Amino acid sequence: MNELQFQALLPFIVLAAASILVILSIAFGRSHTFIQVAGFGMMCLVVLAMWLVRDALPREIAPLLVVDGLGALFTGLIIFSVLVIGLLSFIYFEEREENPKEYYILLFLATLGSAVLTISRHFISLFIGLELLSVSLYALIAYLRTRNNAVEAGMKYLMLAALSSAFLLFGMALIYLETGSMEFTGIARGLPSSGTPILFIMGMGFLLVAIGFKLALAPFHLWAADVYQGAPSPVTVFIATVSKTGVFAVLLRFAQAVHLQQYPAAMTIVVVISVASMIVGNLLALQQQNIKRLLAYSSIAHFGYLLVAFLPGDAAGAEAGFFYLLAYSITLLSAFGVITLLSTRQEDAGDLSGYRGLFWRDPVMGAVLAVALLSLAGIPLTAGFLGKFLVLGAGIGRQLWVPVIVLVLTSVIGLYFYLRVISTLFEKMPPAPARARPLHPFFYYATYAVLILLMGLSFWLGTFPRPAIREIEALLNIRLL
Amino acid sequence: MDIILLQANTLTTGANQNSSFSYFPIGVQLLFALGFVGLVLGVTHLLGPKRKTAEKLQNFESGIEGVGNARHPMAIKYFLVAILFVLFDVEVIFFYPYAVNFRGLGWNGFVEVLLFVGFFLAGFIYIIKKGALTWED
Repeated sequence: MNELQFQALLPFIVLAAASILVILSIAFGRSHTFIQVAGFGMMCLVVLAMWLVRDALPREIAPLLVVDGLGALFTGLIIFSVLVIGLLSFIYFEEREENPKEYYILLFLATLGSAVLTISRHFISLFIGLELLSVSLYALIAYLRTRNNAVEAGMKYLMLAALSSAFLLFGMALIYLETGSMEFTGIARGLPSSGTPILFIMGMGFLLVAIGFKLALAPFHLWAADVYQGAPSPVTVFIATVSKTGVFAVLLRFAQAVHLQQYPAAMTIVVVISVASMIVGNLLALQQQNIKRLLAYSSIAHFGYLLVAFLPGDAAGAEAGFFYLLAYSITLLSAFGVITLLSTRQEDAGDLSGYRGLFWRDPVMGAVLAVALLSLAGIPLTAGFLGKFLVLGAGIGRQLWVPVIVLVLTSVIGLYFYLRVISTLFEKMPPAPARARPLHPFFYYATYAVLILLMGLSFWLGTFPRPAIREIEALLNIRLL
Repeated sequence: MDIILLQANTLTTGANQNSSFSYFPIGVQLLFALGFVGLVLGVTHLLGPKRKTAEKLQNFESGIEGVGNARHPMAIKYFLVAILFVLFDVEVIFFYPYAVNFRGLGWNGFVEVLLFVGFFLAGFIYIIKKGALTWED
């Protein structure tokens, strides 16, 4: 590895060092607050390192990694989400768990796994990144080990993730059998120039099972609701944003490298998965009484929408896909921020009845949650609307009528259950007894400030998206040919 | 002839190394391996003499008579030590190939192994400070 490659990898090295730092801090008996602040500092260092290396891109670290604009963009989104999740975690775990410190080791390791996914250009680095992510997630989901449903969720995720890894490996093996290479570019070279490579399509099918599991796409979505409900709220939002961002990034890179769009059979699979996810997610969300389960089903639908941006396989599609993920992450972070703040020691604030009249009890939280739900529903002026608009634009540009029409129709169904929650927020109710003073006022108000910031960001992306889109475009153009 | 030897003839398949047919010998070998295992297991089962006595049906415990059920709760310490042993073991496994290639890998390899050991060391410090290796509370 030469100096320039080392420089390009600097953000990822700092990210890896963060978990080592946390391990050593725990060993030397530092407090939870110290670890929280140190973790925050390390994440800021990662951002600084990314700022420093921005001119050194793109750089290839053969054969495993490539640090280019796409990787930088998705890694940036991951680090941003983790910064917010880290803040949400402090109050949550400080008040519920006598051992909150090891959580941060796992959190940073899972982040590293997701970040490695975004820069991998080889099946081996893909697999290492994915396992780093999932193995940390098994423990993170069951972190509150005294709660039954957390352990249940962890077990379910463990079983299904292990199974999906087996599918992934078998798919990789079949693709290797056809092309004789594990590198994405090598696979593209190894494919025959004409005809349908049967083994490759089969391998791609197996690969899509594993990817579909990680992105919770129908029909591989069955774990989503239970895991979302059982996992601690900050971990739930980690699964919903960070882990899915990494997996989507590597899917995008792989499809770009092998020109997946020229194989109608593979594309048919993706269209079916996308349409099924949109329909299943939105229909199953209709009757949910638990907001975490509702957001789980809505995430299934949202990743169905996202696949519509993946289908064209051109620059507009990648751009729309990233913008959609950005809007989705901001929205979910603010929604789960509210859930985290409302949760009690005994259980997470899942039940919708607990949200009755929230706006009148706590106008800020009510407004943040309402805006987040409006953004998920795709109402204009919010980031979610623009994301959906760009995705639709990308789909229409390639005449993908079936997924586009399903997207529009299912969005209408989605509107129903988002508005149902919003109407609950604004219901009149007798004033509830005053809530106890927050135990950690500094972190409590910091979380508040971040939630307001996220709401502002959602409005900003929804009204003045031009600068953001221009940056995304510029970064996506930084790539090796 | 080539197929019987389980070797692809590079002269005839050289132009088309990557075709599925070049994996044909592997398929033959797989069938052969399955057939061999099935045959040996089946034949010994059919031909071998069987004398089932109570002692023979017991678990072999190094000559000591088996007592009670194995499925009862055990102290978590045993599991901890077992897991930590695996960690040490994995480290050693990586040292062997490095020791063999010590000269060839040069300073670059040395730095990489040093990093690897450094990461492990951080883990060991954590383990010891956490008291995972103290047997008595």
